[in-house]
Amino acid sequence: MFHALVAIKQVPDTTNIRIDPETGNLVREGVPAIMNPYDAHALAEAVKWKRKLGGKVTVVSMGPPSFITTIREAIELGADRGILLSDRKFAGADTLATSYVLAAAIEVIHKEEPISLLFFGKQAIDGDTAQVGPGVAVRLELPILTYATKIRAVDLENGFVTVERHTEHWVEVVETPMPTMLTCEKEIAEIPFAPLPDLIRSLRYDPEIWTMSAGPLEFDKQQVGVLGSPTIVFKMGTPPLPEPGEKFNTREVGVEKAVKLALDKAAAAGVLQAVLGGAQ
Amino acid sequence: MNKHIGFDAIVVGAGLAGSAAALVMAREGLNVALVERGQKPGSKNYFGGAIYTHAIAEVLPDFMERKPKFERPVTEAGFWFLAEDGLTKMVTQGGKLNAEPADAYTALRADFDLWWAAQAQAAGALLIPKTTVVDFIRAAGGAVVGVMTDRPEGEIYAPVVIISEGVNNLLTQKLGLIDHDLEPAHQALAFKQVISLPAKEINARFGLPDANHGVAASVLGDVSLGLPGMGFIYTNKKTISVGLGVMLDTLAEYQLRPYEVLQRYLEHPAIAPLVAGGQLLEYGGHLIPEGGWHDMPQLYTDGAMVVGDAATMVNALHWEGTNMAIISGKLAAETALEAHQQSDFSVRTLAGYEARLKEGFILKDMKQYRRFSRFLETHPEFMGTYPAFLNDALGGFFSAYGKPKRQLFTEIYQSLTGRRSLFQAAGDMLSMGRAVLGW
Repeated sequence: MFHALVAIKQVPDTTNIRIDPETGNLVREGVPAIMNPYDAHALAEAVKWKRKLGGKVTVVSMGPPSFITTIREAIELGADRGILLSDRKFAGADTLATSYVLAAAIEVIHKEEPISLLFFGKQAIDGDTAQVGPGVAVRLELPILTYATKIRAVDLENGFVTVERHTEHWVEVVETPMPTMLTCEKEIAEIPFAPLPDLIRSLRYDPEIWTMSAGPLEFDKQQVGVLGSPTIVFKMGTPPLPEPGEKFNTREVGVEKAVKLALDKAAAAGVLQAVLGGAQ
Repeated sequence: MNKHIGFDAIVVGAGLAGSAAALVMAREGLNVALVERGQKPGSKNYFGGAIYTHAIAEVLPDFMERKPKFERPVTEAGFWFLAEDGLTKMVTQGGKLNAEPADAYTALRADFDLWWAAQAQAAGALLIPKTTVVDFIRAAGGAVVGVMTDRPEGEIYAPVVIISEGVNNLLTQKLGLIDHDLEPAHQALAFKQVISLPAKEINARFGLPDANHGVAASVLGDVSLGLPGMGFIYTNKKTISVGLGVMLDTLAEYQLRPYEVLQRYLEHPAIAPLVAGGQLLEYGGHLIPEGGWHDMPQLYTDGAMVVGDAATMVNALHWEGTNMAIISGKLAAETALEAHQQSDFSVRTLAGYEARLKEGFILKDMKQYRRFSRFLETHPEFMGTYPAFLNDALGGFFSAYGKPKRQLFTEIYQSLTGRRSLFQAAGDMLSMGRAVLGW
């Protein structure tokens, strides 16, 4: 049976984000929470293959109880089962501790129902680390294909998956034994408009909540949350904006004059020569 | 074959009317689907005014204990008459307006509607967001037995559908309950800005003792360049809602750009200091169906009823609409409950909705004010001449010119008769009375 596991994270919608100029922290008040877009696209691909092959999609997330809305959104998009790993002790986790909690839970899920493919977003748009997926793969000793842009084929009979991944200069086509992990780019699938029955199911869905001990496994308290996180964020802030350059008002001096002034300025700074030299 | 999605009742649109209907039906044990096209209730709305508590209390007597998302109680209300360079206010404060809970609260609908829908959800209604109803499912005889949404496998069945789709009444038209688009002359385009200022600053500028006091004012005169329309200004906790409504045909006829008219209003010497230094948070507009009685659709058919703005339940002069929406939703819900008891969803039972409306104030008011929207169009002097005259007259009265008073009164008299003859003025007042009293 095809069983896809998708790891999702709730993130603040960074399209409209503000940084508190005094504290350097993200202003979370009034910022809507959304499913990390890379995860949403990964989930859409997992659901697409489930619809094609039959089977099941399980989503898992680690976070506070407010993440339930994001699990419900995953059910709306076609996931069958949602698990939220949620405990106060998990708070303050870096990518090492996060990957421990996720890997431990995924191992249990895999024992219940063997997983064919693991889908992660390539990174979360709030932290931008791109470390949790690879971290989980290492802990579970799974092959990992990062920057996946397309699944060409899933061969359940022989246990192989064929995946395209974008590297800087070319597209690699890789065939790998399953189970394997993909960290996905947005191109992997369009997010569909969910059918009404899935939406209605999601509105009534209560995800399973696994805590430190109230669940099918006990987590090692030395490896979770702050205790399990060697990373210390020393300071957060926004880099200063670069000094704006001189402006020449075309209405005052005319376009031609403005261009000439700008070119002269660039030439004096030695920039123009480099650019023109490069062009010749 | 897909599983058939069925409910006891469907409500289309989680606005004030829709959520009220869903709440009343769910509380009595019906399985209700409340379908909303927005991401959340309120997200498609751009109203910024006052919500009346008498209507909320009729649906939810203990509403104050449920922490409604109000902004400020309206403790000062009135008319502001704008001349080109002056302002005359006729406001009332205290007295009835000091009641607890207040008769009216200012509100921002993105917050209020979410709270209001949550009350329906708490009663057991299922809110289905991000889903647009596009058509009806009809039985062989034509009775409505469900709706079709824009989602795949998107049919929902129910023996009764309450249509609270708002001013854009496409579904009401689809059912043939009204045979025409609302005319531009019968719709106002209301546009406004929400301007953020510290609460203390708002209190100081509007002369309010604290954030538990608020102002609601109708602004007439220069605000709409003397054309058929009305301005408004409302204080919220930390924002001011300020804008105006102008009839659509007027905007078109005079080629007015809403943002220019609004900007002119905000730059008026009496208004600018109220909003100065504030941060613009939102700018937008919304249609208001002001055609009144003459535009009302047929209110029910087999399996469906129409409530709120979709039924043009708006009283433009009194800024009423939210209360009629809530009460019409409640009355339609009670009719649906009766239909379930009798297992008869035909017009025989649903006619009870119109009967209930006739018993209350809604249809009485709608009928009484049936001439009002035409009145504004045919009597632009109430937006132009009279506000200017009032400012002249009071300005003169309270100035010490060093002239004999008799001359002052002559000037005031002439400032009126220069604009409008006494005979015309008497006629204007009479038509105003007729329009309001419905003679």
